[in-house]
Amino acid sequence: MAVSEKLIREVIEEVLKGFNLEDIKVERMAASAAKRLELKEKGTATTGVRKDEVVVALAPAFGRFQTKTITDIPHPDVLREVIAGIEEEGLNARVIRVLRTSDVAFIAHDAAKLSGSGIGIGIQSKGTTVIHQKDLLPLNNLELFPQAPLLDLETFRAIGKNAAKYAKGESPKPVPTRNDQMARPKFQAKAALLHIKETEHVELGGKPVELEVSFY
Amino acid sequence: MKSKRFQALAARPVNQDGFVGEWAEVGLIAMNSPNDPKPSIKIENGKVVELDSKKRADFDMIDRFIADYAINLDKANEVMSMNSQELAKMLVDVNVPREKIVSLTTAMTPAKIVEVVGYMNVVEMMMALQKMRARKTPSNQCHVTNVKDHPVQIAADSAEAALRGFDEHETTVGIVRYAPFNALSLLVGSQVGRGGVLTQCAIEEATELLLGMRGLTCYAETVSVYGTEPVFIDGDDTPWSKSFLASAYASRGLKMRFTSGTGSEVQMGYAEGKSMLYLEARCIYITKGAGVQGLQNGSISCIGVPGGVPSGIRAVLAENLITTMLDMEVASGNDQTFSHSDMRRTARLLMQMLPGTDFITSGYSAVPNYDNMFAGSNVDAEDYDDFNAIQRDLKVDGGLRPVSEDEVIAIRNKAARALQAVFAELGLPAITDEEVEAATYAHGSKDMPDRNVVEDLKAAEDMMKRAVTGLDIVKALSKHGFEDVAQNVLNMLKQRISGDYLHTSAIIDKDFNVISAVNNCNDYMGPGTGYQLSEARWNEIKNIPNAIRPEDIQ
Amino acid sequence: MNQQQLIEQIVREVMLSMGSGNAETGVKKEAGDCKINPKTDYPLATNRPEWVKTPTGKSLDDITLKAVLNGDVTPADVRISPETLELQAQVAESVGRTAFARNLRRAAELIAVPDDRILEIYNALRPYRSTKQELLEIANELEGKYKAFINAGFVREAAEVYEQRNRLRQD
Repeated sequence: MAVSEKLIREVIEEVLKGFNLEDIKVERMAASAAKRLELKEKGTATTGVRKDEVVVALAPAFGRFQTKTITDIPHPDVLREVIAGIEEEGLNARVIRVLRTSDVAFIAHDAAKLSGSGIGIGIQSKGTTVIHQKDLLPLNNLELFPQAPLLDLETFRAIGKNAAKYAKGESPKPVPTRNDQMARPKFQAKAALLHIKETEHVELGGKPVELEVSFY
Repeated sequence: MKSKRFQALAARPVNQDGFVGEWAEVGLIAMNSPNDPKPSIKIENGKVVELDSKKRADFDMIDRFIADYAINLDKANEVMSMNSQELAKMLVDVNVPREKIVSLTTAMTPAKIVEVVGYMNVVEMMMALQKMRARKTPSNQCHVTNVKDHPVQIAADSAEAALRGFDEHETTVGIVRYAPFNALSLLVGSQVGRGGVLTQCAIEEATELLLGMRGLTCYAETVSVYGTEPVFIDGDDTPWSKSFLASAYASRGLKMRFTSGTGSEVQMGYAEGKSMLYLEARCIYITKGAGVQGLQNGSISCIGVPGGVPSGIRAVLAENLITTMLDMEVASGNDQTFSHSDMRRTARLLMQMLPGTDFITSGYSAVPNYDNMFAGSNVDAEDYDDFNAIQRDLKVDGGLRPVSEDEVIAIRNKAARALQAVFAELGLPAITDEEVEAATYAHGSKDMPDRNVVEDLKAAEDMMKRAVTGLDIVKALSKHGFEDVAQNVLNMLKQRISGDYLHTSAIIDKDFNVISAVNNCNDYMGPGTGYQLSEARWNEIKNIPNAIRPEDIQ
Repeated sequence: MNQQQLIEQIVREVMLSMGSGNAETGVKKEAGDCKINPKTDYPLATNRPEWVKTPTGKSLDDITLKAVLNGDVTPADVRISPETLELQAQVAESVGRTAFARNLRRAAELIAVPDDRILEIYNALRPYRSTKQELLEIANELEGKYKAFINAGFVREAAEVYEQRNRLRQD
């Protein structure tokens, strides 16, 4: 592994964090409604070394070609809640975009592999979300929320929070699983359409992209 | 002004369903996409050099696997030159026996078989399915799950489901790490209900195999295959890895089947413009080529997709039929919520229930649908009496039987107590008497107390680390006085020594006899032949508890 | 039991006592000469229990509840043997299921491979998990260490297909 300045900086930060936890504690993000989301691309995403980060990976179309989930929750709100959940636990959210696949299990697994803590979250445009850990098989997971129509903002915040707890080595109580057996007949055909549209933006072999997120 | 009639119609459940129009370019079409290939085969020196209008040099992974492993080449040229409509007629003709037409259907290419069934309407497909199903005796499978992953409830529901007639029980998890407990609870509960019931736990492939190896499950089903290469890869497998997995199961003496279904490729975004049925046919051929005895299909978890397009439910019946035409066991779906409309879901069910299949549903939710962790089934615990009435109305064997409240309460209680003993003996978090009581009378998890989930998950992980096996369960049951259940669990483990139940369409009766498409071959050739209800079975179906008995009226 | 079957059984038992490696090939050849009759022989557990032995040499009748409680039966005893899988492969062939029989013969070879190694090889065969070299090494291991010749060929074929289709691990 090449030792870059960035790496050294991150290691120092990590060590310092151990000395002075108070200063690092991030101010709790106010969950006021941000209407717009800006995702600035910052080149290829690399593997983090900070133990206090959770990587949030967005599917190829999230927040750019598609702007809301299957139940019309705006993407800025989804992302804001997930980040707020992570920061509430005193950890940092690093956001990336996965391009090589639109499959949420692999998106989340890629996030986990790039995450300094080994914990990642993958989010599809239609809202389907997974919390993953880097040493698990791609199609296993820590927590899976397959029924996108049942996810509300509160759940997205709880997902962020739980991911952060896993990153801290805790064993949180999983976010309560919801089940609505009639979601499929109502939404599955629409889900297929949304997923086809997302998959159109997959770049085979594409590298993950680091994103700078701002809400305004 | 608004029409009152349209207001009334808009309020009907069917209008909650999601319907979409066809979009052939992306594969949102049930059958006969303009992009489906034309049937063809060219064989040189025993090797397929062209398959369904594609040259060998252009084969993807799936084409190559099918060409090299899945087609009976001895008869391929003969059947490919036959008229597809004539072949469709032979399938419906009761005078053409199954064994004769199987030698032809197993020599067709995927595009050819799709062309053949394309000539058939649903009644003809049902007639063909009645003849082509591999096992003579039809059967049924159920789901036993709940939102809380509550082990005691799983044991009780499984015991009741066994009593109600299900020969196979499948569980899955809300939280993945609960899997060892769910598998254990299902095994114990099912063998309390009836010795010989087969159980499985649907989870990630490698973990599912591990549970089987440990003797915590009896067979496997959730081994998914897909009809296009990109989707297969997204499923994290290849035809080669899946075939190896199939052999791994057999090497441990474990029965298994694959799973596929129309709509998965378009659902996952890579249908390559082909119809859902054509892509599903490729899955069925992959299963055949891997040497797997059977397949669960009938769209399964993607039913909302074919269910949303024209002729979709006909395509779902067609995929079940194709599976039997390739001489494999079919567990024929009906296992996922498909419609808000009771009329639509019943119409969809009858396609398989009337002709009978190896497993008419795969499965029937043995719990109320709110507890079904496969996201709901087409039929659930609240439909039991409806299902029994349909069997009785039509004199059809759907695999279920009416039961009395007393016997259900007794068996649920026994299963809960048996599991309580096993948990205590294995040092797992205690099952309280309150939990046993609740599970005895529960309808669903709303009637069950919460458990300490974090503690359960730790214990489940530890149980796998300690490598607890089926034999430990046998010992625990025996030690606590559940001698009969211990013997049943041991008998299930013994199945993997002889391997008789590895064969096509195998089920196990209460005396642990294996019944499969080797010793119970479907010999249907028209009225009065094939499977016939025995008098005992018909009496069982007839005697629903709420029928007025004429002799009781003065 | 007719005479031929009796001879077969004796041969099988002698071969088994001489070491499992030889028993496999020996039995395969012997059993190949015998025409299994699915109508009278299947299910083996009911109709031909004397043909069925665990890899540890126990018969079905030895696997009793009592023996389990005594500790005389261990997980190694509730396993299928290569000989039994070969018989089941012949049953499958006798009813025209040749692809299924092929699977059972691949499986017979895998009995010798430990659980953990089976899971590792399966995972190595999944897409993007292995380099071509790694797959070829697995094939050599299957062949050399476990005499799993059919499986070795199968893994080599996978290596070739994965290379063509870009499904090997890219480092």
